[in-house]
Amino acid sequence: MPVPILKQGDCRIASIQSALTDADMLDLRDELSDRVGRFRSKGVIIDVTVLDVLDSFASRTLRTISQMVRLRGAETVIVGIQPEVAFSMVQLGLSLDGVTTVLDLEEGLVHLERSRRARAARAGG
Amino acid sequence: MAATRPRVHADGLAEAIGLGPDELAMRKRFLEFDDSDVQRLAEIYDLTQEHVDQVIEGFYDHLLSFPETAAFFRDPPLLEHVKGRQKEYFIRLTQGDYEQEYVADRLRLGSIHEKIGLPVRSFLGMYAFYLRQIAGLLLKEHSEDPDQAFETFHSLAKLLFFDIGLAVDIYIYQRERTIALQQEAIRELSTPVLTVRDRLLVLPIIGSLDTSRAQQLTEGLLKSIRDSRAKVVILDVTGVPAVDSAVANHLLQTVEASRLMGAQVIVTGLSSNVAQALVTLGVDLTKLNAVGDLQGGIEFAERIMGYRVVANGDGLPEVVDAGSDPEAG
Repeated sequence: MPVPILKQGDCRIASIQSALTDADMLDLRDELSDRVGRFRSKGVIIDVTVLDVLDSFASRTLRTISQMVRLRGAETVIVGIQPEVAFSMVQLGLSLDGVTTVLDLEEGLVHLERSRRARAARAGG
Repeated sequence: MAATRPRVHADGLAEAIGLGPDELAMRKRFLEFDDSDVQRLAEIYDLTQEHVDQVIEGFYDHLLSFPETAAFFRDPPLLEHVKGRQKEYFIRLTQGDYEQEYVADRLRLGSIHEKIGLPVRSFLGMYAFYLRQIAGLLLKEHSEDPDQAFETFHSLAKLLFFDIGLAVDIYIYQRERTIALQQEAIRELSTPVLTVRDRLLVLPIIGSLDTSRAQQLTEGLLKSIRDSRAKVVILDVTGVPAVDSAVANHLLQTVEASRLMGAQVIVTGLSSNVAQALVTLGVDLTKLNAVGDLQGGIEFAERIMGYRVVANGDGLPEVVDAGSDPEAG
């Protein structure tokens, strides 16, 4: 099942609705990377609230997405990792190093907004 | 602690320990206790009836001559009561039908002795006393036929070992239940998650951490992060006396898992012992955000969250004019 990607300002929000197959994950990766370039987005939010498991492939793909998106000029935030998921991930040694994770969608938007301001301040100064 | 242990109803004991008819039959087979033994025991029913008073009096004289066991039977009415029970017990040995009802009765008896805190060794010593007494009686009764006395004695020994098995089971079962309940109590006490400011949590850890407790702590913390939408968590380990590599890794896992949920963890109160242990263990501590004490941790957290605490004027307590306080009038 493809993941709907919503637009909110200059952010793209990928809202995962159900458990994803590996192929779905790869489609999501390609789709996000494509849209970031095409629409000149500055931020990407991937909402994983509904997932009750994040295996090693999914974790690695999320990290790949984050790195690809950065190279395309935007920032990625993973939101909505549940307590049980976080716990099993660290036990499996999947720590999503170098990827920004925040509590929920709201926090994700706040985080991207803050980054945008920081960029603006740097550009202005 | 034994006093606060909720009671399992005596009739439920056999079930709780898993002593169904199959298990009982198996135990008897194991002891080679069969119908011929039941028969032999039935034959000495009259003998036990005849001597029960003498045996039980001797039994309690024996118990009372040792300070360790005498302490349990100081109270005369109590002593009379337990004597009565012991007589029933003694006679019951030769009354046949060693099935569920017999077992339930034995378990009840063991349970009572466990409850008053009688040591297992004394309890087992009681069985040895019975064996000695009955051996004497049997030899006297069958002085012309020692073989028969010996056979009967064997049957009784089997039955008493069957009883001992039940008694030990009930002792262990009750102790384990106490331990489980205490562990439960410790777990409930041990992991409070406190909110100090909006979206700032403090987790004071007191006492040593083991794997199961650390796991529980992490799970509790992660749920609290979600529920209170925490941004910063202070993990105060002032009360943790020592850490080993497993616990150090748990701390790091907690930090990582919290980060995945979007909360930053500050560890405070690492004593010099603990710090030294962590360094010696060679745990990768680059991800650990440590501040000396809880106060420093809270100040640091407030800075992260954008709070600024300003002292009020000259630092003296504010004077409240009682007259202007509407509540005071």
